[in-house]
Amino acid sequence: MNEIDLDAGHLPPRSRGVIGLLEENCTVCMLCARECPDWCIYIESHKQTVPAPDSGRPRVRNVLDRFAIDFSLCMYCGICIEVCPYDALFWSPEFGYPETGIAGLTHERDRLRDWMQTVPPPPAHDPGAPPPREAQAAGPGADPAGQAG
Amino acid sequence: MTGGQLLAEAARHLPAARCAAEEGTVTMDVPREDWLAALAFARDTAGCDFFDWLTAVDEQDKGLAVVVHLYSIEDRQHLLVRTLIPPEDPALPTATPLFRGAAWAERETHEMFGVVFDGHPDLAPLLLPEGFEGHPLRKDFPLAARAAQDWPGAREPGERATSARSRRRLVPPGVPEGWPPA
Repeated sequence: MNEIDLDAGHLPPRSRGVIGLLEENCTVCMLCARECPDWCIYIESHKQTVPAPDSGRPRVRNVLDRFAIDFSLCMYCGICIEVCPYDALFWSPEFGYPETGIAGLTHERDRLRDWMQTVPPPPAHDPGAPPPREAQAAGPGADPAGQAG
Repeated sequence: MTGGQLLAEAARHLPAARCAAEEGTVTMDVPREDWLAALAFARDTAGCDFFDWLTAVDEQDKGLAVVVHLYSIEDRQHLLVRTLIPPEDPALPTATPLFRGAAWAERETHEMFGVVFDGHPDLAPLLLPEGFEGHPLRKDFPLAARAAQDWPGAREPGERATSARSRRRLVPPGVPEGWPPA
């Protein structure tokens, strides 16, 4: 065997293995499905009326019914991740998900959620970089690295 | 030969060519009558004797641009030779007598763009299956896969598959109007 280490933990940073979905951040805006050059993102949703807590007008919100990515069509361009305004899609370096049938490469929302567990933390800022905007907004005295404890 | 020398020599040998140099790459736009003369000049006078690739670009209204990339290993000099040919008469003399390696590149450019290379020994399809009709890399060639599937982005947020279609329909980017034909 050769010496190449195929463990995802030893891959270069920002490796593109699979796409994970953080469902809580998804607002069903459809931007990813519309921008996808391969037409490989399938989204189904419905509208739900939420009564206002006080006597206000009831609100209508979109509820996700299905979110699937067909990795047999996906070309791993990452446009969906770039375009998502609410940070619901992430790159994961995990690349090993072979199937014997092509239909198995369509990953539904539960599988995309599982991939979220493999998404690495964002890389640290460069030394000397300005503190993150969140830390700036928190004002002086806040932890400049934005880390609790 | 450096880029500057190459420009001067090109102006002397090929007065009809428009040349430009930037960062080690010289670009030469020649009329189609000068195609073989330009390639011979590049190989014999400019020393760009390494044939890298040949392909075409569908410039639509302007015509079909045939581009060849040559390189001088000795002088580390890149040279792009380009010519524009009308798409209704896409013929060009073959470069195979000058560069034998151009044969496969010309076969591919022939099947993908419909460029006919006069004098080519065998313009048989290289990559496409036998009996394939059309030239798939021309801009007016519609992608059949786009007719086989509905655009997943057509649905509005919160719209059920069964709900009535909204009046304003979005169209997928990059798909020509009226495609697929009903």
